Amino acid sequence: MKTFVKWFTHGTEFIAATMLAAMFITFLLQIFSRYILLMPFGWTLELCLILWVWIVFFGCAFIVRENDHVTFDIFYLAAPRRIRQILALIAAGAIVVGMVISFLPTWDYIDFLKIRKTTTVRLPITNDKIPMRTIFSVYALFMIVVTLRYAWRFIDVLRNGPPDDDHELVHHDEDGPAIQEGDEVV
Amino acid sequence: MSIELALCLVTLFGLAGIGTPIGYSIMLASLVYLGVGGMDLALTGEKILQGLYKSFVLLAVPLFIVAANIMNAGTISERLLNFCVAAVGRFKGGLGHVNVVASLIFSGMSGSAVADAAGIGKIIIQMMTKDGRYSGGYAAAITAASATIGPIIPPSIPMVLYALVSNASIGSLFLAGIVPGLVMGAVLMAMNTYLAGRRGFAVEEPVPLRELPRKTANAFPALLMPVILLYGIYGGVTTPTEAAAVAALYALLLAGIFYRALSIGGLYRILVDSARSSAAVGVVIGGALILNFIVVSENIPGMMSDFLTGIDVHPLTFLLCVNLLILLLGCVLDATTIILVIVPLFIPTCNALGIDLVHFGVLVVVNSMIGLITPPYGILLFVINAVTGIALKEIIKEVWAFLAVLVGALMLMIFFPGLVLFLPRLFGYGG
Repeated sequence: MKTFVKWFTHGTEFIAATMLAAMFITFLLQIFSRYILLMPFGWTLELCLILWVWIVFFGCAFIVRENDHVTFDIFYLAAPRRIRQILALIAAGAIVVGMVISFLPTWDYIDFLKIRKTTTVRLPITNDKIPMRTIFSVYALFMIVVTLRYAWRFIDVLRNGPPDDDHELVHHDEDGPAIQEGDEVV
Repeated sequence: MSIELALCLVTLFGLAGIGTPIGYSIMLASLVYLGVGGMDLALTGEKILQGLYKSFVLLAVPLFIVAANIMNAGTISERLLNFCVAAVGRFKGGLGHVNVVASLIFSGMSGSAVADAAGIGKIIIQMMTKDGRYSGGYAAAITAASATIGPIIPPSIPMVLYALVSNASIGSLFLAGIVPGLVMGAVLMAMNTYLAGRRGFAVEEPVPLRELPRKTANAFPALLMPVILLYGIYGGVTTPTEAAAVAALYALLLAGIFYRALSIGGLYRILVDSARSSAAVGVVIGGALILNFIVVSENIPGMMSDFLTGIDVHPLTFLLCVNLLILLLGCVLDATTIILVIVPLFIPTCNALGIDLVHFGVLVVVNSMIGLITPPYGILLFVINAVTGIALKEIIKEVWAFLAVLVGALMLMIFFPGLVLFLPRLFGYGG
């Protein structure tokens, strides 16, 4: 089980990093095509936007940890452990309930978008445009995974109390990149 | 106020207040709004997805994060510092000045205050506290204060976020930040000179002038970065968003090939962490998009302008009040949250009162950057504490003097809009 978790974490990190690298390269291609080739490719911008949507929701589903999120945690951190447990349970519970009740309506909307397709991006071999349903389906995936994660967190907090390390600010390994969390982007 | 809006706000502040991630709190609050108002719950997802998919300017955010992380991983920061020591280290309070000047230069390369503090800050604090020349608290405090300049001088991640919620031009916002950034640097250096005189800080061994050319040459490729960025944007070669990609590429070439200071493994780590923080910010941006929808459908802009014409408030009074409010909120909230969630509420009023949105944007960004060093909650204080181990209490004790002059600089910008708008107007901004 432990090996699976480790392997899974590495895999999702790899996918997210690849998407970011792809977005970076696509951007460079766009500048190159416009200013050096003098004939813009056209599809680059939309591809970047697709990658951006995927990075955000794939990332939030799989690689963003609880303490990476932008949070307001002064009250949470000041509260005694017992209260913290209750606050963490409310937060996790609310997220699960919200995601579950809005899932079907949201999926209806995403599914409806099968009739709409990308405007410029085409699949490489078949040359077909991609239905927007495929692109936005990452949001449905995000909802499912977030629901499962917070349901798990709810049970975990209920059983073992609030984890000590989330919302913790001081946790950087010495030489990691400067910006690692959502709070630090500014 | 409609009942659904009231419940939405209660949910938002309730959930966010107990430590639920801000992005998720907004999503849930919007579901309450839609549910009570009898609207389709799918609107939350729809507005977020459509908004993210349309907003080209936002693509700059992940790229600027990558660029900032690459610059810190390569030896670019060290080289810049050596250059600054040679240039301004000889004056009284020398390393304090080095600190500010290095931040000014670095802020022309990165769009993030945290990247500035964690990269350059860590090294200069080591230099300053060596042999006990400066107390750890003083070194950390001036580093934190000068790091706030990072997102004021272009490029700037917070300004990209502001451009998203206000529709102000990014190009003009970037230009408008240059003079205010220099003013902030000047007031910090003045305070440093004053304190150095009063406390008798040691003067550095001056680096012989004949070494200056070599140190400059060593840092030259890095010094070129702000020039390339500005030329790219204002010479019409790249859009501000594309400039982010160019910045990342240039940093990558410098760190990887020219200075040979970045391994493939290091680059991979940077990509993973940058993707992680981009996603964490992306979900708050998504939240801002759905909040924006609620603000419009509740006709808050109309109500605001009706209210203001009713009480006849002077634009300056309004600016002062909003800035005071943001300063207070900055003590407890993240800059991201302030810019994406709080500031949009004031944009319609600015329009009604005829306040220039570029001017307002610079004020808001400067103000929320000051918020990064106001205790008790200041992310820059935390980051410096984390990378150097200097106690928060020590840093906070020394930060007040710098905080005071930065607020002074903010007041200058409020009372003299020309300071902010001079450069963009020179480049044809009509505001």
